[in-house]
Amino acid sequence: MANVRLEGLKKAYGTIEILRHIDLTIDHGEFVVFVGPSGSGKSTLLRMIGGLEPISGGRLLIDNELVNDIDAADRNLGMVFQSYALYPHMTVSENLAFPLRMAKASKAEIASKIATTASLLQIDHLLDRKPRQLSGGQRQRVAIGRAIMREPKVFLFDEPLSNLDTELRVQMRVQIAKLHKQLGNTMIYVTHDQVEAMTMADKIVVLKDGNIEQVGSPHDLYHHPASHFVAGFIGSPKMNFLGGKVEAAHEDGLDVRLEAGSTISVPVQPDKMLVGKPVTVGIRPDDFSSPVQQEISIRLEVDFVEHLGSVTYIYGFAGDETVVARAPISGSRKGAGKLTLTAAPADCHLFMSNGKAVRRLQAPASWS
Amino acid sequence: MRFNRSTPASLFLNLLVVACTLILTFPLVWIVMMSLKQQAEVMIWPPRFIFTPTFENFRVLFDAAHAGATSYGTIKVDFLTPVTNSVVISLGAVLVSLIAGVPAGYVLARRDIPMKEDIAFFILGFRFAPALLVVIPLFSVFQTVGLYDTYFGMIWVYQVVTLPMIIWLSRSYIEDIPKDIEEAAAMDGAKPFRVVWHIVLPLLKPGLIGASLLIFLLAWHNFALGLILSSTKAPVTVALLKLLNPGVQFYPVMAAGLVVTMIVPVVLIILGQRHLERGLTFGAVK
Repeated sequence: MANVRLEGLKKAYGTIEILRHIDLTIDHGEFVVFVGPSGSGKSTLLRMIGGLEPISGGRLLIDNELVNDIDAADRNLGMVFQSYALYPHMTVSENLAFPLRMAKASKAEIASKIATTASLLQIDHLLDRKPRQLSGGQRQRVAIGRAIMREPKVFLFDEPLSNLDTELRVQMRVQIAKLHKQLGNTMIYVTHDQVEAMTMADKIVVLKDGNIEQVGSPHDLYHHPASHFVAGFIGSPKMNFLGGKVEAAHEDGLDVRLEAGSTISVPVQPDKMLVGKPVTVGIRPDDFSSPVQQEISIRLEVDFVEHLGSVTYIYGFAGDETVVARAPISGSRKGAGKLTLTAAPADCHLFMSNGKAVRRLQAPASWS
Repeated sequence: MRFNRSTPASLFLNLLVVACTLILTFPLVWIVMMSLKQQAEVMIWPPRFIFTPTFENFRVLFDAAHAGATSYGTIKVDFLTPVTNSVVISLGAVLVSLIAGVPAGYVLARRDIPMKEDIAFFILGFRFAPALLVVIPLFSVFQTVGLYDTYFGMIWVYQVVTLPMIIWLSRSYIEDIPKDIEEAAAMDGAKPFRVVWHIVLPLLKPGLIGASLLIFLLAWHNFALGLILSSTKAPVTVALLKLLNPGVQFYPVMAAGLVVTMIVPVVLIILGQRHLERGLTFGAVK
């Protein structure tokens, strides 16, 4: 168990910068998820921590020890790969034994560790099989088991669930989260799936184009996205973005005239400098259904309706912009038509033209 | 996938296969027959396909002590020495190539070194060049350095034939091993040497067996290098040529020599067929 500190970490291939200047502290026992679109540098960052990718600049400290130039083999970390990366010529139990054999552990110790790990991950009955005789989920459990064997300081997961089918992915997600509770290790998990990030993380690190966009708890990221990008990336379906212009500033917030027509009052930091400037209003699809007194309303031209059983989403246009909204009552609508959507102003987000969010004044109405 | 062909078409294709087989096996059968005939029978026209076989020719090949008195006149052959030479040189060449070539293939597959592709192509270039290009200058070099007609020198010079093959084959086999597996081993605490020893080599084994067979055959059949750079350590291919005396030509003895020379690769191919196929198609099958 250990903490991990990244100080101005950089990665460049020649003149191409992959990671610009990453500062991050991961506390002992934390479950941190790196999330971002492909090409954001999240996997590269994980591989740098693991020692599989040389560091171009900055400092990497694990357990308060500078490890920039220490081999992957000597960092004592465990890693689970997307491809499982099991050793195909070894049985499951030989795969599990490998890290301990490398550490020159005694035979008795190896045997007892295999037994413990196998029962923890419910792979006891598979020990004599070769990896090719296992299903995807079983392979993934073996890969996790192998990473556990050495009791590493930190666990690294590189998109471990993306090769599994949806149902299995949900199961494994729960299993990994449980494992984190049981072992209490520091875990760093890379995914492009924001649902995985939201459900598993203590702390989410959103990366974009080699920079950290925002660091925070899932709750923070959902309710206080620092930028247009984070707001769009976290949450499913995506947050709706409506173009507009700030008309006036008053002590309760800013009045924004939407391109779609109506004027709404958003309770954010009333920065007078913003008056007359173009802004973007963000409203999550789920926030349209909140039955509140003080409302903002948007006219929607319904395009199609998606029934998911417990919820129904309505897709349509407000002016030129596409809007998704959760239907107030599920199954109430079938096809096209016109609709007035309502939302609480407190649930709205406001983003400046540079993508940064304007600080919200009060806790959103949907809290508590 | 199934193709449905018309009867005449499939008949024609089958006939084609039979024709190919006949063309390919005819010389082989001819030589084997010749090796079992007497000198006089060999020269008869039209050739006879039914005759009383004799192992006299094989005796002449290996029975150096009594070879002087044959029904063919005076002939003294010592075929055992060239066979031994070929075995030593070919096995030695394969071994040296494996030891030097697999690590080289690994570096070309996995490490970022400057001018990697140029180096790889340069190595392959030896396969394009005719052996004589190397042999003639080497002749005087070998004479001067004292490598002429030594096993050491022969094994060394055979690397021109075997090493590029091993480097290229092992490079492509190694590229087929997912890099993740090696990285996983590194994360599991294995230093680069142990990654290669415990992970890469076991995974490479089937491919390397096939590749070794292949380069053994290349070495076994090589002629030009042995002809010019050796005399008492000459390989079997050169010894065969020496059976063509300027005076009397002992065709049946030569045929027996050819059969002996063929036996080694044939046995190896039969034993290693599975690996040979795998060695050649390793990259295609996951």
